[in-house]
Amino acid sequence: MSAAAFTGASVMDIDAAKIRGVGSNVHFDKVSVAYGAHVVLHPLTLDIAPGEILAMIGPSGSGKTTALRAVAGFVRPASGRIRIGATDVTDLPPYERGLGMVVQNYALFPHMRVEDNVAFGLRAQGADKALIGERVKDALATVGMATFARRYPRELSGGQQQRVAIARALAVRPRVLLLDEPLSALDAQIRRNMVEEIARLHRSLPGLTILYVTHDQTEALTLADKIAIMRDGRVCSHGPTTELYRRPPNRFTAEFLGRANLLPVTIAEGVGSKGFATARHGDVILTSAGRDEKAGDKSLLCIRPQHLSLTADSEHTNRIVGTLREVHWQGELTHLVLDVDGTPVRVSATKLPMALPEPGVKVPLYFAPADTSLLPEDAGV
Amino acid sequence: MLVWSRSGRLVLWLLFALIFGVLFLAPLAVILLSSLSDQWNGVLPNGLTTEHYTDVIRGSAWNSVKASLITGFLASALALVSGTWAALSLRLQGHALKRLLGLLFFIPSAVPSVSVGLGLLVAFSHPPLLLNGTVAIVMIAHFVLISAFTFGNVSAGLARLSPDFEQVASSLGARPAYRLWHVTLPLLAPYLVAAFGLSFALSMGELGATVMVYPPGWVTLPVSIFSLTDRGDIFAGAALTMILVAATLVLLLGLERVTARATGS
Amino acid sequence: MSDAIAIRAPMAKVSLGKFWIVPPAALLALLFFYPLALIARQAFLDDSGVANAAEIIRVLHSRFFLNALINTVTISVSATAGCLIVGLVLALILAFVPFPGSGFIARLIDTFMALPTFLVTLAFTFLYGSAGMLNAGLMETFSLPLPPVDFLYSTWGVVLAEVTVYTPFILRPLLAAFSLVDRGQIEAASVLGARPFRIVRQVILPAAIPALIAGGSLCLLLTVNEFGIVLFIGAKGVITLPLLIYGKAIQESAYQIACIIAVINIALSLGLFGLYRFAAGRLGA
Repeated sequence: MSAAAFTGASVMDIDAAKIRGVGSNVHFDKVSVAYGAHVVLHPLTLDIAPGEILAMIGPSGSGKTTALRAVAGFVRPASGRIRIGATDVTDLPPYERGLGMVVQNYALFPHMRVEDNVAFGLRAQGADKALIGERVKDALATVGMATFARRYPRELSGGQQQRVAIARALAVRPRVLLLDEPLSALDAQIRRNMVEEIARLHRSLPGLTILYVTHDQTEALTLADKIAIMRDGRVCSHGPTTELYRRPPNRFTAEFLGRANLLPVTIAEGVGSKGFATARHGDVILTSAGRDEKAGDKSLLCIRPQHLSLTADSEHTNRIVGTLREVHWQGELTHLVLDVDGTPVRVSATKLPMALPEPGVKVPLYFAPADTSLLPEDAGV
Repeated sequence: MLVWSRSGRLVLWLLFALIFGVLFLAPLAVILLSSLSDQWNGVLPNGLTTEHYTDVIRGSAWNSVKASLITGFLASALALVSGTWAALSLRLQGHALKRLLGLLFFIPSAVPSVSVGLGLLVAFSHPPLLLNGTVAIVMIAHFVLISAFTFGNVSAGLARLSPDFEQVASSLGARPAYRLWHVTLPLLAPYLVAAFGLSFALSMGELGATVMVYPPGWVTLPVSIFSLTDRGDIFAGAALTMILVAATLVLLLGLERVTARATGS
Repeated sequence: MSDAIAIRAPMAKVSLGKFWIVPPAALLALLFFYPLALIARQAFLDDSGVANAAEIIRVLHSRFFLNALINTVTISVSATAGCLIVGLVLALILAFVPFPGSGFIARLIDTFMALPTFLVTLAFTFLYGSAGMLNAGLMETFSLPLPPVDFLYSTWGVVLAEVTVYTPFILRPLLAAFSLVDRGQIEAASVLGARPFRIVRQVILPAAIPALIAGGSLCLLLTVNEFGIVLFIGAKGVITLPLLIYGKAIQESAYQIACIIAVINIALSLGLFGLYRFAAGRLGA
C-alpha cells in the first residue's frame, strides 16, 4: 500500500463540515442475545454519546461482535431495547436503521467500481443523481481515494480497499458508524497508519458516533474516547479510555488493557484525604492511589511496566527489591523480568543505566504512588 | 514430486497415456474419423468423405438440432429460474425444513430418467392434464431431470457467498429486493451461468426420459442418433454425434468466456 | 410481557418470507413427486383401486426381472470398481507426477461429464465391434475367419463403456482432495526416506478415502440409472432395470409391469442416493 496516498493532508483539505454526520447516541437497554439456551450476550446496558468513539474490546467469544450486530440489526435481541437517538430500532430491519458498517474483509462489491461501491447506499435509498455524485466525491476525498474512483476493488491493496469501505459507509451520512474488526486483515505497519487515519477522520467528523469492535488493545487505546471491555458475554468494565487504563477496576481489565504488574498487598491504612492508601507487601510499605480500601483488606497493587524505574527520584518514592531474571532488548525498549517475592514483575525501560546488572542480582525498583492503583483481589482472575 | 527418478516418472506417464488414450482419446477420435469415413471394412477407413454431414444436414438433422437446442434452452432457463428461486428462498426457512426441502430438491437427480419419463406418461395422459404427445412433456421431462443440478450449483454458490456482502448492503439501506438484484444475483452470476451451461449440456445429451415421452415431430438429437444407428446407419449416427458434441462444446466454451469476461479474471 | 410481544412482531414479518419457497416447491411437486406417486399407485393397485399383490409377486419372480436386477447390480458394481481404480491411478499421476499439459488434460476429462453417455458406446462399436478396428486388425493379421473379440455385446462391453463415462465423476473429487494434501508432508516423508508407494498408502490415500467413498457411491447411483449405453449396445442378453422399464412401457405397453419395476428401480436408486448424501456429507464435514 502506498503510504503517500495516506497523508493527513488529504483529510485536512476537505471541508469537513460538508460530510459531518448527524451524530446520535446509541443506547443499549438490558439487551441480551441468546441462541437457544446458549446466552452470548447477558443483559447489557450501555450508552454511547453522540460523537463518541466507543471501543468494545475483549477476547473472541466475549460477545463484542454480537453487540455490534445487534445494533446493525443482524442479531435479534432476546430481550431489551436498542435506541439510536430518539428512535427505538429494536424492531427495525437493518436497512431502516441509518447506519454505516465496515467489516473485517471490507466486503466491497467486486462487480462494482469504487465509485459505484461508494454510491451504493445512496442509490439504494433512492437519492437523486446530483447529490450522489457530490457525496461520492466528498467521501472518496475524505479517505484520500479520489483518484481511484474508476478502479475495481480487486485492483486495490488491502489498505486501499478498507478506505473505500469506510468511504462507502460515510457516503450515506450514517447516524452511527459501526466498525467490526476493521483492521485485523491488514498487516502491522498498515494497521498502525490506518489507526491514525481513523483518528484523524474522526477529528474531521466530530459529530460521528462510532462503535469500534476490536480485539486489539492498541487500536482501542489510540482511538477510543471510551472503552468497554467484554468478557463471557458481559461488560467487565466501561469508562473513559485513560481512566480505565490508569485506574483499572479489576484484574481482567488491568491485564487486558496493556500490561500490568500485580503485587499482592494488604492495606495498612485506608485512603486518606489526598486519595492515597498505604499498603504492605511483605515487609515493604508502599503508597498507592486508592478508592475506598480499608485497613486490613487484601488487595492487588497495579503498576504498569513503563512506570517502574531503576533509579530513585523525588516522584518515585515507592521502592521494592527484586531479583533480575531476564533481560530482553528490543531496540526502542528494554524489558526486564524480575522476581519480587515470587511475583514476576516486568519493567519496560527506554533509558537504562550504563552498567546493566547481571541476571541473578538483586535490583531495587522505584515507582510513583500516582502511577499505581489498587484492585480488589477477588474480582476476575 | 512424488516420484523422483526420471525413469519412474516416464513409466507412470506412459501408463497415463495408455489409459487416457484407450478410454478417452480413442472414442472421440474414432467417432470423428467414422463420421468422415466413406467405407470402413479394415483397420482404417477406405476413404474420407463429408457426405455423412451433408446427408444428415439435408435430412432431418436440422430439425433434431433445433428441437434439442429449443428444448435445452427452455428447460434450462426454467430450471435456472426455479432452482435459483428455490435456493434463495430456502435460506428463509428454519434449519430442519431447510435440510428436508434441500434434500427433496435434489431427489430428481437420483431417480432414473426412464422412470421420470414413465411417471410423466402415467400422470399426464388423461384430461385435465393431457400433455402426452405434446412438445411440452419433453420440456417438462428435461426440466425435472436438470432441476436438481441447477439447484445444487446455485446452492453451492450461495454457500460460498460471504454473508458480509448482503449484510453491508442492508446496513447501507438496501431493501431486500434491491439487495437481491444489485448484490446477491450479480455475485451469484458465475454460478448461474455455470448452472445454465451444465443443464444445457445435460439436456442436449438426454435420452432415457426423452425416448419415453417424445412426440413425432420433436425428435431430439440423441433420439435421432439412436434411430440412425438402430437402422444400421452408424456413419450418419457418428456425424450427428459430432454435431451434438460440437454444439455442446461451443455452448460450454462460449458461456465460460462470458463468465470470464464478467468476472474480469 | 412487552418483551414477548416485541419478539413476536418481527417474527410474523419474517414468516412471510417463508412462503417464497412455495412456487418452486409446488412446481417440483406437480411435475416430479405427483408422477412418482402415480407410478407407485399404478404398481400397487389395479384399475379398480384394489391392491394387487399377485401381480407384484408374479413380476418379482419372473425371469426377466431377476435377470435385469442381477445384470444391473453386476454392471453397476463392476463399473464402479473399475472407475475407482482407473480414477485413482489417473488422479495420482495428475496430482503428484504432473507433466506439461496435465492441467489441460484434467479439464478435458472433466468435459466428458457434459457429453452424452451413448457417445462412448457408439465409438466402441467402431473400435471393438464385430466389424471394428480391433477385430479387423486381428482378422487381417492372423487370417481369422471370424471376429475373435466379442466382449462388446456382453456385460463387459457395458462395464467398459461405463468406466469411461463415469471415471470423471471419481476424478474430480479426488483431484480436489489431493489438492488439499500438504505438499510439505510428502516432501518431509521423502526426505525421511519413505518410498513413493509407502507415501501413497500412508499419506495420500487416507486423505482420499472420503472422496473415494463419495465418488464411488455417486458412481453406483449413476450406473444403476444408466440407460443410453445399454440401449446403444443393444445386446439381447444385457437388459438392465431401466431398459426393462422402457421395453415394457413403450414396446409392450405393459404399463403396470413397468411401474412395478420402476418402483423397485427407484427404491434402489434412492437408497444409493442416501448413501451418497451420507458420504458426501461426511466429506464436507
